[in-house]
Amino acid sequence: MICRHLQQMVKGQRHEKGRFLSTLLFLALCPAICPAQKTVLDLDGKNVNPLQSSAKQLVVLMFVREDCPISARYAPTIQHISDQHQKDARFYLVFPDKSESPAGIRKYLSDFRYSIPVLRDPDRVLVKQAHAQVTPEAAVFDAKGALVYHGRIDNLYESFGHARSAPTTHELEDAIEAALAGRAPSNKEVAGVGCYISDLP
Amino acid sequence: MKWPFSLAGIGFVLAIAVVFRSGTNVHAQAPDPDPKHNREVTFNRDIAPIMFQSCARCHRPGESGPFPLLTYDDVKNRARQIETVTHSRFMPPWLPEPQALKFADELRLPDEQIASTKKWVDEGAPEGNPADLPPQPKFAEGWQLGQPDLVLKAATPYQLPASGSDMYWNFIFPVAIDRTRWVKAVEIRPGDKRFVHHANVLVDRQQNSRQKETQPGSGFEGMEIKIESETFDPDSHFLFWKPGTVPYVEPEGMALRLDKGTDLVLNVHLQPSGKPETIQPTIGLYFTDQPATKFPMLLQLQNDAKLDIPAGEKNFILNDDLTLPIDVDLLAIYPHAHYLGKDLQASATLPDGSTTTLIHIPQWDLNWQAVYRYAQPVFLPRGTTVSMRYVYDNSEDNALNPNHPPQRVQGGNRSKDEMAHLWLQVLPRNFDPQAGDTRMLLQEALARHNIRNNPADFAAHYNLASVLQARGNAAEAITEYEEALRIRPQDATANNALGAALIASGQPDRALAPLQTAARTSPEYFDAHYNLANALASAGDFAGAAQEFAAAVRIRPDDADAHANLGSALAELGRFAEAKAQFERALEINPAHLLARENLQQLQSAMGNR
Repeated sequence: MICRHLQQMVKGQRHEKGRFLSTLLFLALCPAICPAQKTVLDLDGKNVNPLQSSAKQLVVLMFVREDCPISARYAPTIQHISDQHQKDARFYLVFPDKSESPAGIRKYLSDFRYSIPVLRDPDRVLVKQAHAQVTPEAAVFDAKGALVYHGRIDNLYESFGHARSAPTTHELEDAIEAALAGRAPSNKEVAGVGCYISDLP
Repeated sequence: MKWPFSLAGIGFVLAIAVVFRSGTNVHAQAPDPDPKHNREVTFNRDIAPIMFQSCARCHRPGESGPFPLLTYDDVKNRARQIETVTHSRFMPPWLPEPQALKFADELRLPDEQIASTKKWVDEGAPEGNPADLPPQPKFAEGWQLGQPDLVLKAATPYQLPASGSDMYWNFIFPVAIDRTRWVKAVEIRPGDKRFVHHANVLVDRQQNSRQKETQPGSGFEGMEIKIESETFDPDSHFLFWKPGTVPYVEPEGMALRLDKGTDLVLNVHLQPSGKPETIQPTIGLYFTDQPATKFPMLLQLQNDAKLDIPAGEKNFILNDDLTLPIDVDLLAIYPHAHYLGKDLQASATLPDGSTTTLIHIPQWDLNWQAVYRYAQPVFLPRGTTVSMRYVYDNSEDNALNPNHPPQRVQGGNRSKDEMAHLWLQVLPRNFDPQAGDTRMLLQEALARHNIRNNPADFAAHYNLASVLQARGNAAEAITEYEEALRIRPQDATANNALGAALIASGQPDRALAPLQTAARTSPEYFDAHYNLANALASAGDFAGAAQEFAAAVRIRPDDADAHANLGSALAELGRFAEAKAQFERALEINPAHLLARENLQQLQSAMGNR
């Protein structure tokens, strides 16, 4: 909320000099977690910042999209990985498509038996912070809020339409384990196969 | 007496998905000579026609595509995705390389359309002038050919789990007809099209697949199923569904025969969606009053015995060829391998020495396997050699290798096994029913070819024996049945066929042993009991014959022949009252049953004389 307040101050400035100073102040106080007027919402429309929390825990963002079949196929995997780590990490499902409504997302959660907190990211705030390219894709932030891994969940998909019978690598789980152990993961990023976020309106 | 004449092992088989190969799918785009591409590419003028023509059949509500591609917004919101998948030729799915022999309904995008799509996306996906937008394509709702004459619905839905690997499930559809019908078209509605990757109907004339169900109507799991046929009734039609399939109406003179008691078995390839799904397919049948006058046949080249791929082998090559004994027209082709298949090719070398490519798939992908019909029938004269050359990659580089790390893989029916099959739908030329079914000559050529490839091929010996038997060559048929039985001594069908052949050649005494084996190993096998009863009767053992005919009657209570013969055996034993009841039952089923009528009259006069 401090960011919004500062923005109002910026707007309220009338003198060139004052505006300049205020902008500097804004940048100094607001790191990337509070971009100007761009918000992350929960399903009730409230602003949320999943990366700003008193609980010093890992945060894992899972980018998905209702009409992406690859996202859908990963639903049991995503729920399972979050269940495995409910004590040591906070998971969020992030829907970056502006056109996806809270009602539609609620139905999707119920269809796919999700019990993970949900965020809408119509302004692509989290997309940018996580460098997310496609859905499904994961981003792991350590307890200090630093991005330590982003990319695919595992290698089930080799390319569009080409799924292995089972994945043979598990980048997301490896990254979570590494972060919990205070190590750097062996991969910092591995591109995922899925539906392009850049296509979204 | 009836001697069932049986062919096994020509079951039509299908299989599982996906092969990716990195680095080979670079389709160089030729420099565009068309100056119109130097102008702006717009959705309304340039892109919409491509989407409507090549994408919308599947990418519309209710169809297999995961999202519609019908409006500017639909397409713009997928612009980069569309550019990527058209450039890699993952979409639209069309595996064969361009070649001289054209296929019907080719889905391959021309290079210039792929280039336009890229240009459109690169330039920010402009919408353009609304006046340029063509009308949206119209598709028939519901049944594509109108209301079918008969709709079959799966008795029990299949519950597809939320996750896991691909699933192959089989539904059995008893065909509710009271007489022989001729089928002009089959429409397969596999259930929710988003989860069904492909489906294939097999004709099960003997209800053999029912044995695989845990309870009637439950369906059963399995990727490659094989159905045995007991008459010379070679599979003749591809009944195949994949996303975007438009039901195929058989050409003039061709139709699929369905008899009372026939089952259709629908083999579906399913992919888990992330949530549990219920799959309940339906099949629509369209009948014709015109019985078939043209009889195609599915020929299968295969060399599974040589399919033994070492772990790590990147370039395993398998060849097979077959020389055609008669003139045929090639109507359609269906190449099939599993996950290790990489480059699949088939060609025909004509008697004049010229060679034509029949199909070439440089990047096999089991997910998008399909039956390819030729735009025009391809004439292959007698003496043409059809050759297949399949290349397999069993290395770690093949992402779809089901074994990790790679293992030795051999031919087999499971998805982890491999296959090297090439099916051809051919129509013999100069078909003259008076001269006998020329497809027998194809069957014989195929059986002899398979025996040369693999002398331990049970089905090949069996099929060859059946052809010889049908041609009246009992001595050689018996030899071949015996060869088959050396490979599978307990096989009920082969034992029964050998017994029937021995009876037919006047050796009922030698028929006893194989028929007893058949009846013992397969106690519900009507033909085995029936033939054994006949052999016992020929040997004068009427008590034994009565017992076996009684077993036959128990299995098929509505078989007039079995009742009449049981009556005859009982009459021989002097059990006239029981015999009379059997003759009467036979006549109840078939009032025109000559044997029953004559024997009943004789019996009545004998009883009256006493």
